[in-house]
Parts: sequence; C-alpha cells; structure tokens
Amino acid sequence: MHIQISNLSFGYDYRTVLKNISFSLEIGDFLVVVGNNGSGKSTLVKCILGINPVPSKKVFLDGTDINDFKKWVKIGYVPQKMDDFNYEFPISVNEIMHVSKSSKVSEKEKLELFDRIGILELQNENINSLSGGQMQRVFIARAMINKPEVLILDEPTIGVDTDNVNRFYRIINDLNSEGVTIILITHSLQPGKANFNHVMHLHEGVAEFTSVSDMHEGGG
Amino acid sequence: MDAIMLTSFLRAIIEREFMQFALITGILVGLLAPIIGSFVVIKRLSLIADTLSHFSLAGLSIGLFLLNILRLPIGDPLYIGMVFAVIGALLIEALRSYYKNYKEISMPIVISLGTALSALFISLAGGFNTEIYNYLFGSILTVGRNFVYIIAITTVVILTLIFIFYKQIVIISFDETYARLLGIRVNLFQFFSTIFLGVVVSLSIETVGVLLVSSLMIIPVAAAMKIGRSFKTTLMIAILFSEVSVILGLWLSFRLGFPSGATIVLFNITILLGVVVMKKLFTRRNLEEKQEQPITVK
Repeated sequence: MHIQISNLSFGYDYRTVLKNISFSLEIGDFLVVVGNNGSGKSTLVKCILGINPVPSKKVFLDGTDINDFKKWVKIGYVPQKMDDFNYEFPISVNEIMHVSKSSKVSEKEKLELFDRIGILELQNENINSLSGGQMQRVFIARAMINKPEVLILDEPTIGVDTDNVNRFYRIINDLNSEGVTIILITHSLQPGKANFNHVMHLHEGVAEFTSVSDMHEGGG
Repeated sequence: MDAIMLTSFLRAIIEREFMQFALITGILVGLLAPIIGSFVVIKRLSLIADTLSHFSLAGLSIGLFLLNILRLPIGDPLYIGMVFAVIGALLIEALRSYYKNYKEISMPIVISLGTALSALFISLAGGFNTEIYNYLFGSILTVGRNFVYIIAITTVVILTLIFIFYKQIVIISFDETYARLLGIRVNLFQFFSTIFLGVVVSLSIETVGVLLVSSLMIIPVAAAMKIGRSFKTTLMIAILFSEVSVILGLWLSFRLGFPSGATIVLFNITILLGVVVMKKLFTRRNLEEKQEQPITVK
C-alpha cells in the first residue's frame, strides 16, 4: 500500500503536536519513527489510522484521501501496551481472532498464522492468563489475521523480555521481506534488529528524516 | 418435607396461570439480563443499569400521576417507564461524549434527575402506595399475559440481533478503537445497544424492582468472570447462575411468602460468595501443591 502524508499538522485543543509532516511510503518500505515521550509519535499513528480526524488532502492511503478510505482491513495495528483492549474480562485467544477476522480468512490460514507467530499452543488460553510477551504476539497475530498490506506497531516491545523482543523483530522482518509495509514507533532505535529503510526522528512535532545509507556511512 | 414443598411448587406452576407467567418472565429475564450485563461489565459501565432503573422510575411515577390523578387513558405506566429508560440511556451517551475525560459524571447527573422526578411525581400521584412498592422491589408474581408477550418478543429480537451481529458487538465491547479500524460503525451499534439496554432494564423492573435491577444484570456476570476461561463459557455460566437464582428465588418466595425480587437477588449474592470462597480455596491449594513439589535444576 502507498501512503502519502502532505504538510500534516495536528493538535489537541490549543497545543500543536504535529507540525507540517510530509513523507511517502511505497509497498514494502520499513519506516521507524523515533522520538521521546510526547514528541507526537502516537498522534501521527492515530492520524494515519483515521482515529484522529484530519483535514482532507493531508493523508492519502493507496491514493484515496483518508476521509474517503474504506478498506481498513488492509491495515494491521498493534496498539501501545494494548491499553485499548479490556483484557481483564475472560476471552480466549481463539475468540479474539474469531471476532477480528474477516470471513474470507479460512480456519487453516488462521492456524498457519498462529504457528508462525508462535501462539498455536495458546489458542484456547484466556487472554488475562498470558505473559506480556505472549500477549504481544497475540496482538501481532490479530493485526495480521486479515492479511494487511501495512502493519503499524506502536511501541510494541515495551515491557517485553529480550528473547521475545528478538523474536518480535524476526517476525516483522520476515513480514517486511514478504512485501508488508511496516511503520514501527519506538523510543529507541535498534539498527541491528530491525531491517528498516527509513527513519523519522520526531522532536516536538517536527520530523527529520535519515536515510539508512547515511546511517551506515556514519557508522550507525 | 422438601419433596412435598417442591411438589406443591410444581403443582402451582401447572395449575395457576400467575405462576406460569412468573416462571416464564423469570426465565426470560434471567436469560436476557446476564447477556446484556456481560457487555455492560466489559465496558466498565456496571452502574448504568442502576442509573437507568432510577430514570425509568421517573417514567413510571409520571405514568401513575397521569393515570391515577389526571385520569388519562395511557394504559400501563410500564410503557412510559420503558420510554424513560431509553431516554435516560441516550442522555448518558450524550453526557459521556460531552465530558470526554470525565465520562463517569454522566451517571450521577442522570440518576439525580431520575430520582428527583420520581420523588416529585410519586408525591403528585398521591404518595407511597402498593404500586410504588412493587416498582421499587419487584412483583414478578403479579405480571400479566401482556407483559409475558412483551418480554418474549423482546427476548427473541435481542437474541436474534446478538446472533447476527455477534462479532461486531464483541469487538466493540472489548476494543472500540480496533472495531473502528475494522470499519464497524461503532456509533450506530452503540446507539442501538443503548436503546436495548434501556428496554431490558425497564422490563427487569417487574421482576426485581428498580432498586435491584442492576444486581440481576451484574452479579451473575461478576461470579462467572471469576471462573470462565473464555467469553462464551463465561456467558453460559452467568446465564446458569442467573436462572438458578430466579427459579430458587421464585420457589422460596412462593413457599415462605418472601418478596420474590429480594429472594432472587439474595440467591445471586449467595452464588457470588460461594464462587469467591471456592476460587480462593482452589488458588491456595494449587499454590501449596506447587510449593510442595521439589525444585529440580536442569
């Protein structure tokens, strides 16, 4: 999926959070958005996902203005700390997938995804009995269940142990090599782990871009 | 002795029409209340049932005033109560979107308005009487044929809609943001859910009364969520607890002349306490068993 952002500014009440952000991503790109807390990273994600209302002619998904965009199943999203999900009420991993998946996804395809993400043995478990790493994998699987063309991950490795962080990067690198466009939001860049080709540094709502070749030349 | 009491209860159900109506009403409310209650609990809106029942009482009081004092042919005040429950639910939704960061403020505002209107119109309708008592504490043994038809139709409509839109309803309840991303029209679903919630609350008032409605919707779910491992099993357990409470409550109130609503709710509370105690004992035993196992170093 092609993503284009043109001079996007966004604010809450009287505070401007994003200032004239512009960039475009092609199919199979891997963008890492880096910035401190409050720099506007999650706000940017919410603008791309249509959660934050943006004016027309600012965000285009596959050439369509976001305000007219309908094919949301093409975008998979792993939210920050899974805060939006009520994981205290009993619901099994299988049930979460059942209500999240489109009818076009077969049972076989679902089980293949579970196996790939490493949650096959967790499918009948109650979500509130899972560890942080297991829960993160469940939410990645949920984001992938409808075979999206773009995967947006908002600080997905916070509170996850090293083994699960490494496993997470292996999964998203594999998905990216298969043509899935990745937007990864993080507060710390991990060049050795993620195979990204674009980096956006957000500082007080202003974006600065670094190409991966520049980073390599600089020894990064 | 128990067998004789049970036989006379069963005979009363077979022979007396009012007992049949009470049993059918109890079973249908016992089914609907925990189903709707589950979605209410997931969205952390447990106080909404209490708020709506108080607002519905305002409608019932206005209905009594119009019927008994102004002698207007409005039919059963239940219908006005139902309309008020729906208005109350819509008012809560409006206030929740107005006070985005203080959504819980909506409940005390609506409950205060409902209680104030109720007090005013109860006074205007001639003060406290048997009808008001029945609205406050329920009167399942006095429900008529029409009420049974209304609740049966409501049950069929709500269960059919839940069956058709199960995926959408569950994903909206658990994760509203993700539901929006899947292209689900969240606001439209919430609008209709709110209306059905109001209808179920006002119908439940006949069973356990204004003051106890929320217990019928919330307590079986509170017990079930402690032992359920999936959403569906939790829902089934909540319905089972609810139906057991309704049937045992009806039986005991028939035998001993206790108020039916209060008896049903007390059975619900007893089950909840039983579940909490059993869960604690089970957890402690599991921990002790684990501690007794020798630690092996690989």
